[in-house]
Amino acid sequence: MGPSLQANEWVDKYGDILYNYTLKRVSDKGLAEDIVQDTFLSAWKSRETYKSDASEKTWLFAICKNKIIDHYRKKSTSNVQYAEIDTTSHFFDEAEHWTREDQPNEWGINYHQPVETKEFYGILDYCKKKLQELQHSVFVMKYMDDLSAEEICKVLNISSSNYWVLIHRAKLQLRKCLELNWINS
Amino acid sequence: MSLLNISCKQATYLISKKEQRKIGLFDRLTLRLHLGICSLCRRFEKQTGFIIKQAKHTHTEEKLSEEVKEKIVGSISKL
Ligand SMILES: [Zn+2]
Repeated sequence: MGPSLQANEWVDKYGDILYNYTLKRVSDKGLAEDIVQDTFLSAWKSRETYKSDASEKTWLFAICKNKIIDHYRKKSTSNVQYAEIDTTSHFFDEAEHWTREDQPNEWGINYHQPVETKEFYGILDYCKKKLQELQHSVFVMKYMDDLSAEEICKVLNISSSNYWVLIHRAKLQLRKCLELNWINS
Repeated sequence: MSLLNISCKQATYLISKKEQRKIGLFDRLTLRLHLGICSLCRRFEKQTGFIIKQAKHTHTEEKLSEEVKEKIVGSISKL
């Protein structure tokens, strides 16, 4: 098989799934495209060394995951400053009680029953993308990719207290966003 | 007594720590006391627990455009 034919086949077979995977982990389409392109380029360069005991798909995903982590890491120098910006101060009043505006209201659903409608997933994705970038990264690494708090702090170059603040803010905002756009709509 | 009293803001922090099993005994106790009297924070715990469980599943399907695919194949053949 000629090289460009093989490249064509690869991109056809794995392009969309890698793109989907990446798009859920970074908040921007152009960036996701760049990461997928980088993944294919790196894979192509190292295809001689690729051992066939792992499937081709697993191997490409491993490269892609590393590219995403690299992206998070690259941004890490500015992360400490970003971690300080409070986007959730309106949730609580001076006595640190919930404000009427932002308090959790009853959703009237069974919280143990997974919701699997297309509508719900669309809104959840929308709400995730509305998170501040660093909150988004922390949320994705923790709850989509199951990284430990320690690993996340290392990759993003943030302190453990930054981590808890970011998790806290991400949850406050996701909850509020879902209530507004899913429950109340 | 005030030592055991925590605010809703503190309670919601502790809910996250509890969910990730990073909560100490004392915090666990103060959180339990707070949740006993605060229905808003109880709701927060249930709702965020629900969100976390849903976080991994997603049905959104997006496709790479043909132009991008061609661009990628093009850049591979230039290697
Ligand atoms: Zn409370």
